[in-house]
Amino acid sequence: MTTARFSSFELLLLQSRHQADTAALLLLAWVLVNHGPLDESQRARLTDLTGSFRHGHDLEPILRIATTQDLNAIQLAAEVLQKEVHGLLAHPFLQMAIALSVDKDQPSTANQHVLRFLADLLGVSPLEFTRLFERQTGKALGQPPDPSRTAYWQAKEHHRGQREKQEHSRREEHHRERRQRREQGTRQGSPTGHERTRRALAVLGLEPGVSRAEIRMAYRRLAQAHHPDRFFHAGDAVVASASQRFQRIRRAYDFLMKVS
Amino acid sequence: MRNLYQRLGLTPDASDLEISEAIERCDHNALKTDARTVLNVASRREAYDALHATLSDIGRLRARLGLTHAPYWRDGPADDFSLPADTRGSRHDEWMQRLSATARWHNRWQRLRGPWLATGLWLLGVAAGALLCWSLGAD
Repeated sequence: MTTARFSSFELLLLQSRHQADTAALLLLAWVLVNHGPLDESQRARLTDLTGSFRHGHDLEPILRIATTQDLNAIQLAAEVLQKEVHGLLAHPFLQMAIALSVDKDQPSTANQHVLRFLADLLGVSPLEFTRLFERQTGKALGQPPDPSRTAYWQAKEHHRGQREKQEHSRREEHHRERRQRREQGTRQGSPTGHERTRRALAVLGLEPGVSRAEIRMAYRRLAQAHHPDRFFHAGDAVVASASQRFQRIRRAYDFLMKVS
Repeated sequence: MRNLYQRLGLTPDASDLEISEAIERCDHNALKTDARTVLNVASRREAYDALHATLSDIGRLRARLGLTHAPYWRDGPADDFSLPADTRGSRHDEWMQRLSATARWHNRWQRLRGPWLATGLWLLGVAAGALLCWSLGAD
């Protein structure tokens, strides 16, 4: 018997009249927390948006759990929601998530990743999700900004400066980005053996230093999960993407077997 | 986004000194420049760390939910933020297991007429205590 206590979210799910709605509510609150500090108007927006939900409990405990970013609660909510809605059925939920993440401008960088996670979770393809985003906001879904690059910070800090300077910096930044991309291109074109091993291990979800047997086991597990034959009922596009994934796993495995 | 800490061989709670040393040791020029720009300025590092934490969380969630090969992750931060799938498995299954164990214990308790048993044992204990007190007092 496991001895762990029931967490507050698990108890809330037991109270709920509709578990999928409670789970959806927690994930929406997570989006809201990643948008910025919670205030009254944000709460009001969430309440308005989820008026048709049938959970039948207070909103406050959900917001409290979301504020602590409890990963176990979020995982449980994701699993509950995934069982209930998938594909087309998930569109209304994703629309709500998009609406909450967009105020006047693009969603925050954290939310860019959260929204993509939710789309993947509920089996909505990038193409569908981009369309959904455009329909909801009237704007295109841009690539998430990358604060690990110098160009991002230069762009951000120049935006505060004068317009003239801004134009200049953009040109400069453009050049730098191009140069960087070229550098990166050459780097990615010929990764060293070590780097390639690390990447191949990452594909199989392993850490450096594992044994051949462990590699084989991870490969078997993933190959089973991503085998294209499993998706034949889901249409050609899904089969194609599965076979791409499968190929990638296969290539990583072959490479690792060769070098280890 | 790239995981600068991982690429420099550091952990996210590294001190400023450790970071400067790691940057000196690094022999990739573009990475060196970027790491200097981002990690050596406190305000920038703070913003970077917040996003780093979110992405690590999402990486962990994806590993547990089997979403490390989903399209949005594969083409994005997958290389830097994918974590090995851990043994935690499904939270939902684990929750259900705990619920059924609890229900089993409840039923066992009811079948043994637990409340009566507990009250009976308590009364017996009180009686034994009183008897002991009385016998000690009588000596």
